[in-house]
Amino acid sequence: MATGRYSSDLQEGDRFGPVEVMISPFQVREYCHANEMHQPCFQDEPNPIVPPTMAHLEKLRFYTMYCPEGCGPNARVHYTFDVRWHGALRAGMPLMVEGVVRSRYMKRGREYMDVDITMRDKAADRLLVEYRDTVCLSYREAAKDAA
Amino acid sequence: MELRQGDEIRSAPRLMTRERMRWYVDALPTVEANDGRVHFSVPTIHDDDEYAKGQGLPGIISDGMITTNWILDLLLRSFGTQVLEDQGALLTKFIAPVYEDMPITCVLKVEGVQLRPEGGRRLALKVWAEDGAGKPVTVGTAAVNLV
Repeated sequence: MATGRYSSDLQEGDRFGPVEVMISPFQVREYCHANEMHQPCFQDEPNPIVPPTMAHLEKLRFYTMYCPEGCGPNARVHYTFDVRWHGALRAGMPLMVEGVVRSRYMKRGREYMDVDITMRDKAADRLLVEYRDTVCLSYREAAKDAA
Repeated sequence: MELRQGDEIRSAPRLMTRERMRWYVDALPTVEANDGRVHFSVPTIHDDDEYAKGQGLPGIISDGMITTNWILDLLLRSFGTQVLEDQGALLTKFIAPVYEDMPITCVLKVEGVQLRPEGGRRLALKVWAEDGAGKPVTVGTAAVNLV
């Protein structure tokens, strides 16, 4: 299944999935607890709402599946999180999740990669979440500026 | 809540402690494993000083998704969790590193209030997280529907 050894090997047009996913209440509670989001809709309901920020984990799921050796010699830095949701996504809902490497590009001497992820309600084939993730692949150079 | 363009909602400041960074780091493999047990991450720039220094940083920095989730948390506290059951959007960019023990305040600023033909209002917001000196570290936009 691997597309590349490292996530930095991914190329524009590389596709992830679709894969069937069911997010569990445990996963929602754990993620929200780690972020100190203690709202009852995340912590107390039998089928909690999945916060739209968890779309980011679907990218990580694909990285694990398709790039088994991680990020490579340089850490990648997450630069932009961009999510749109179209209704409540709940734990226990069968989903179809897929992704694509939308682009790789240079900007001000650094290399960036955009990955688009969609999450659909499998039964209704209804789009619930669209997510675009942008990472900087040349982290050492970025870190010099950050330091 | 009556909201007008220019209104600001600010969170109480929170320190970005080492523990908060680690909670997020270890939540990722824990959520991925989904077996009810805690799992620990490989060393990252968010929890391992030596690894962070090896990447050119002076010390660990927080994952940008923590400030993103804190902004989401402020959205939910301000407008209610029902905003996750309708259409919405959240975009964040990580423009400056957040180092250990930096105080972080999240801010929502109303950019526009639109009446929706089907009833209710759509809020367009500028969002950001700032450090103790008021310097933005995460910036972005959000949109939520209110009944």
